[in-house]
Amino acid sequence: MTSKRVKKPSQERAELVERLKEAQRHHGCVSEEVIAALAESLAIPVHEVYGVASFYSFLTTRPLGRNVILVCKSLPCHLKGAEMIMEAVAKELGIGPGETTADGRFSFELTNCIGLCDHAPAMLINQDPHLDLTPEKIKQILKSYK
Amino acid sequence: MCAPDHSKNINRVGLFSYLIVEKKISLNINGINVSARPGLTILEAARENGIDIPTLCHIPDLLPIGACRLCVVEVAGSRTLVGSCHTPIAEGMVIQTHSPKVIATRRVLVELMLASHPDACLICDKANICELRRIAADLEVGLPRFRARKHYFPVEDENDRMVRDMSKCVQCRRCVMACKSQSGQPLFSMAYRGFDSKVIYGNDQPLDRDACRDCDACIEICPSGALRKPRKPGEERADKALFIKG
Ligand code: SF4
Ligand code: SF4
Ligand code: FES
Ligand code: FES
Repeated sequence: MTSKRVKKPSQERAELVERLKEAQRHHGCVSEEVIAALAESLAIPVHEVYGVASFYSFLTTRPLGRNVILVCKSLPCHLKGAEMIMEAVAKELGIGPGETTADGRFSFELTNCIGLCDHAPAMLINQDPHLDLTPEKIKQILKSYK
Repeated sequence: MCAPDHSKNINRVGLFSYLIVEKKISLNINGINVSARPGLTILEAARENGIDIPTLCHIPDLLPIGACRLCVVEVAGSRTLVGSCHTPIAEGMVIQTHSPKVIATRRVLVELMLASHPDACLICDKANICELRRIAADLEVGLPRFRARKHYFPVEDENDRMVRDMSKCVQCRRCVMACKSQSGQPLFSMAYRGFDSKVIYGNDQPLDRDACRDCDACIEICPSGALRKPRKPGEERADKALFIKG
């Protein structure tokens, strides 16, 4: 039993994150069906695939809207008032983090650090960085995404 | 069962160290010179010599998990405290298992665990056999100074064999390591991240009755009230009442 547990991570496990990213690109999310299929093809239990998928902010288990807002929630941004940015986005769109607007235009997500701490608070919309945010800027920024 | 591959874990797992014909390692624990077999961890060597180090995630004979950090000790020359359950002994190590720095660290760790733990000991089914509570008492940790958000997850009691109350989970991962379900694979994983971390089954869904072997290994090894058997009205609690001084 013990020898089994010390085995090196298998090739399948090493591939898991890449396969999850690929699935996210293809299907727009890592749904339960995608997880089940991945688990089967890599011979990894479903809970383990779900565990990895749920760890990363860039992977989601539910379908997203046309534009994906990722507001950073890590410490440097938090200290620079990320909370206010989240409130401004929520007020503007009428949805909270983890939700999508009824018209499918925006999904509002939170993310861990995106490496833009020198311009905190920061967020990404569809991979475009938006830096040194203030609640006042939010309305204008969101307007440019249709 | 296949023969264990000793070449890989000979330096890590004390379990196999009897196979090495080598001379013993001498080290100093709490000022006393002791000798121990190569391949032991600091924790194993200390326990063999009658020194107890508190642990919350360690399971004897299984690979170390290293999640709870309660087993930290001071090793001379090391910049930081080291986890004794996963650090192998080395010749000439000088170790302090109960120095003021170590005790203070352990206290803060337990305080942090309790700060996000529901204040439910009075009505908890496992209160009298709870390792978390016993360790808190041993370390004389009172009410936590930290005002942290409590973890809250709905109780999972759909299964008639096991109640999972993840609000009480201390994330030691013992259940993940201990479970050998019907398929021989553990049924649980860690999921999510940071404060939201949680031990899950499947796609974070209630435990499937048929996948579980009902062996209770996880329930017995869980150090908190997070995993328990459903108790029928009038049924006795396990074990005697645990009275805590102070
Ligand atoms: S009772 Fe046994 S099989 Fe079921 S979850 Fe616990 S350890 Fe796994
Ligand atoms: S459920 Fe119990 S054994 Fe499993 S990680 Fe939580 S506290 Fe540890
Ligand atoms: S903390 Fe927000 S970008 Fe690093
Ligand atoms: S017992 Fe060593 S980290 Fe938990």
